[in-house]
Amino acid sequence: MSFIENLGMALSSLKAHKMRSILTMLGIIIGVGAVIIVVAIGQGGEAMLKSQITGPGNTIEMFYQPSDEEIRSNPNVFQQSPFKQEDIRVLEQLPEIKRVVASSTKLSTARLQTESADVSTTGINQAYLQLNELKVEKGRGFSSADFLGGRRAGIISNKLQEKLFKEENPVGKIIMVSNQPIEIIGVLEKPTGLLAFGSMEVYLPFQTWRNIFGSSDFTQVTLQAASAEQLQVAGKKAAKLLNNLHNTEKSYQVINMEEIAQGVGQVTKIMTLIIGSIAGISLFVGGIGVMNIMLVSVTERTREIGIRMALGATRGQVLTQFLIESMTLTLIGGILGIFLGWGTSTIVSYFAGWPSLVSWQVVVGGVLFSMIIGVLFGLLPANKAAKLDPIDSLRYE
Amino acid sequence: MIKLESITKSFLLGKESVHVLNGISLDIEAGEFVAIMGPSGSGKSTLMNIIGCLDKPTEGEYYLGGENVSHYHDKELARVRNQSIGFVFQQFHLLPRLTALKNVELPMIYAGISKKERQARAEAALLKVGLGDRMDHLPNALSGGQKQRVAIARSIVNKPKLILADEPTGALDSKTSTDIMEQFRELNSEGVTVIVVTHESEVAEYANRTIMVRDGLLQPPAVMERGRLR
Ligand SMILES: Nc1ncnc2c1ncn2[C@@H]1O[C@H](COP(=O)(O)OP(=O)(O)OP(=O)(O)O)[C@@H](O)[C@H]1O
Ligand SMILES: [Mg+2]
Repeated sequence: MSFIENLGMALSSLKAHKMRSILTMLGIIIGVGAVIIVVAIGQGGEAMLKSQITGPGNTIEMFYQPSDEEIRSNPNVFQQSPFKQEDIRVLEQLPEIKRVVASSTKLSTARLQTESADVSTTGINQAYLQLNELKVEKGRGFSSADFLGGRRAGIISNKLQEKLFKEENPVGKIIMVSNQPIEIIGVLEKPTGLLAFGSMEVYLPFQTWRNIFGSSDFTQVTLQAASAEQLQVAGKKAAKLLNNLHNTEKSYQVINMEEIAQGVGQVTKIMTLIIGSIAGISLFVGGIGVMNIMLVSVTERTREIGIRMALGATRGQVLTQFLIESMTLTLIGGILGIFLGWGTSTIVSYFAGWPSLVSWQVVVGGVLFSMIIGVLFGLLPANKAAKLDPIDSLRYE
Repeated sequence: MIKLESITKSFLLGKESVHVLNGISLDIEAGEFVAIMGPSGSGKSTLMNIIGCLDKPTEGEYYLGGENVSHYHDKELARVRNQSIGFVFQQFHLLPRLTALKNVELPMIYAGISKKERQARAEAALLKVGLGDRMDHLPNALSGGQKQRVAIARSIVNKPKLILADEPTGALDSKTSTDIMEQFRELNSEGVTVIVVTHESEVAEYANRTIMVRDGLLQPPAVMERGRLR
């Protein structure tokens, strides 16, 4: 007897007890659904954490961690900006590096006539704009000419405009930053979002910033690699290069993302495993439900089994019939569970802003697993059916 | 066709064994129409079950079509039931959720016959027993006589050489019984060996030989003749 025929037979006998079949499936639906949700959210969370560490656009931050020796020989090491202009030029030569984004920030005072404010003044190189979009709501952004000529042009934050100019349009006006005149060419958009309070900021082309503060060092350097795969290599090369230039051993560093990503992966894997095994237990309970109902079904259909045997069904064929029936039950439950899990994790991720990944492996695994559960938990009832004595079964009332 | 040699059958009830058949030897030729009679509890059904390969004898040898089937395994017995024997029961034993047509198809499913051929043969069998217009009815929607005719159609659909009917008219009125027995007579005239267990002498009259069973033993023909005369 073919598989298709068995399947048709299984479906019609499941249809004969719709309510019972659906209730039995529910255990499998919820179990498989829960596993899918856990795995989807777990994988999504891992992907999100990893992308947060890596930063958008294949970037990696460099930092300076002086050794004890350096600190002893130069106690002021933390007051100094670690990256020289020459460093940037050298880094830019590395083939793996697409851009070097560099900036320096100093606290100073901005003044307009009698009004003044404490501002953080950031000098940026042109590459900075490629990664951090400075969105202006009034005036214009920086142009290449601003960077090349070191024009005394600046962009101020919305909050600083409110403080110094109130309602007045500041574009084209001159303010004093650290007692040097700066022409305002643009005002940044108000930051949006619940937690964005806005701060007092002035952005200047790095040349201009250098002229004002008399320093050509950068406090922050971010590397952008040509591709994600090259990021780690680029970072390592850059750190080595700077350590050579500065005669330090390993003071210049990049975050070792591989390690962190591995750590994050480990944590999310353990979490997924723990929650997943709880979901697995519910699947197990669902399987026991299937076994229970199949046992009831075998008892109810004792006479049917006797008739089939009298007509020439072998024990093997009876066993197969009931195995396929329980497998059909769990397979349908599993497929519905996949839809449930997929739908739920999509909704959850929509509201939580957390990506959910339902990979095809998980779907295929879910289907296979629910089939296996059907076979495993169907084994006992099917065996019971196959072992029935044909005469006793025919007499069964 | 059928040769029984000193067949005994006993059942274990708790610690005691109940002897139901006490050494039955019997020959039935191909093409015979045999009736088995005897008081209730004498072992008629037990004997039929052994002849039908639904049960194995405790002792003795059973040859069916020249083959000794008394030591066959379950799987081989299933094949013999499927290919060589058709059953008709007093309680009809149709599957309630299948239509008449699907019920008749059942033995062919286990014979591995293709769906198309199954359907054609099942239709032909139902036409033969006069149920051409009831093929898609569920057993519930059929009268007792119609159910038994579906069962007969099912028993012949694999073209067995032997048909066993255990009180096939036991649940039917006398007019319907006649109908059913006419069906068996027709099958027998086509060369099928028919064995019928019955309590009714009207039914036994269709047979060309009657076997009496009493306390698990065959009654000698002389005693039987006397029984009939009285
Ligand atoms: N599985 C069994 N276990 C124990 N005893 C059994 C079993 N099957 C049959 N018997 C006994 O065997 C005896 C014969 O039973 P059987 O069904 O063959 O009688 P029968 O001649 O067909 O009777 P009836 O005319 O009422 O159908 C009975 O006493 C019955 O109780
Ligand atoms: Mg009986």
